[in-house]
Amino acid sequence: MANNRLVDIFALLARYERGGGGEASLCMVAAEITELSGAGIALSSNPDLMTSMGTSNPAATQLMDVEIALREGPCNDACTGENAVEDIDLLRGLKTRWLVYTPQAIAIGARAVFGFPVRIGAVRLGALSLYRDKRGALTYEQASDGYLMASVIGRAILAMQAGASGNSLALELEREATFDFAIHQAAGIIAIQGFTDVGEALVLLRSHAFATNTSISTLATRVIAHQTSYESLGGTWREETS
Amino acid sequence: MTRESRLVATLVELADNLVDNFDVIDVLTLLSDRAVLSVDMDAAGVMLSTPGGELQYLASSSDSMRILELFQIQANEGPCIDCVNDGQPIINRELNSTDERWPRFSPRAIELGFHSVHCLPMRLRGRTIGALNLFRTELGFLSEEDVIIAQGMADVATIAILQHRSSVDAVTLNDQLSRALNSRIIIEQAKGMVSESTRCTMDEAFARIRAHARNHNLGLTMVASSIVDGSITSQNLDVPRSVTTRSTRTP
Repeated sequence: MANNRLVDIFALLARYERGGGGEASLCMVAAEITELSGAGIALSSNPDLMTSMGTSNPAATQLMDVEIALREGPCNDACTGENAVEDIDLLRGLKTRWLVYTPQAIAIGARAVFGFPVRIGAVRLGALSLYRDKRGALTYEQASDGYLMASVIGRAILAMQAGASGNSLALELEREATFDFAIHQAAGIIAIQGFTDVGEALVLLRSHAFATNTSISTLATRVIAHQTSYESLGGTWREETS
Repeated sequence: MTRESRLVATLVELADNLVDNFDVIDVLTLLSDRAVLSVDMDAAGVMLSTPGGELQYLASSSDSMRILELFQIQANEGPCIDCVNDGQPIINRELNSTDERWPRFSPRAIELGFHSVHCLPMRLRGRTIGALNLFRTELGFLSEEDVIIAQGMADVATIAILQHRSSVDAVTLNDQLSRALNSRIIIEQAKGMVSESTRCTMDEAFARIRAHARNHNLGLTMVASSIVDGSITSQNLDVPRSVTTRSTRTP
């Protein structure tokens, strides 16, 4: 497989989880893989409500608390916007952006901050925020890693919602190495069958794959072929034997 | 229309599309359609490299399951990966069912009726960000001129994904790659919803979403997003005049 970087992330995640890191493991990995000072993950089910899903160190926790209190900052913007956001020099950005957030972030020790949206297609899950104690832009590799980490976090949130425990997360993620198009088509189908939205449909698919010990790709192919369907009344799955 | 004038028409049409707020998947789908006509192919598609280094399917001349399957396999092996890894075009590659280089891809491509494959790298400042993949049901060689035309189309695909910005920093470039990939996921989610609620194939579902976008002068991804968030219901989509026009010839 060409995705060496993903393997690096899974290996790091497994190491942190053996140390009992739980949900904070993802933040530790994000900070370490991007070689930045710290990371935090925010969950945002709707634009007005943002909660912390973990941080890598005390300063990252303080930064996240400030963002949640002020509803302003890179994580807020990444949760609601389409693109990643950055301020590569907070000291110079004092007059332009995030008027209340910036001086507080500087006081906590951040000099550059970055926010990456966490989403799966049209489903918005939250954002990954990263900070550094020195000013400066991300390199191409660091930016790539930020996006990659955001997509791993998206899958992790899905796996956790579907019932995977925090401590077996690395293993759960590795089982679904690729997110293929069939999964997303199947999620669309289940959303209609279950009278629900695509985000919930993805969780339903993941839980059923988990419960029946099949891969989500195999299940998705069966859903598309109408061999497996979801019954919204009673929330049961129906299998066609063919 | 002669080949040359068709090519000019394609480039003009693409240039028109690239002017302002265009939809990247729509433009790449159009480009794939035109690549099929310009160099006499049976199917064409674009794959893009993700930040993790995997390849993901982005757009093609047909959304039929048999074509999509060939791109799906190529996430793991096949001409696209080799082309992206080496940064070199793969031209006039004959497929055979006992292929040692692509043991999964080649036999399946042959089963689906394809016999030759070509792949042009999408290059950006020394980096290969993806590939334009061309399939033909018969053996047959691309001339030097064909290769130039096809590489020109791969270059247009690169520009389309970068949204013709001349200088892109690391975050912006990654944003544009990530946005293109995410658009594809939104479209797949919407296709699933449309196919289930109107009892049609994925191919027809895509044609409906695309027709609706065209008729209302909206981006493909925007229409797909509206379907996913429920602000457009599948029943309210415009029905395309012919849903079969985009299908490739069946072998």
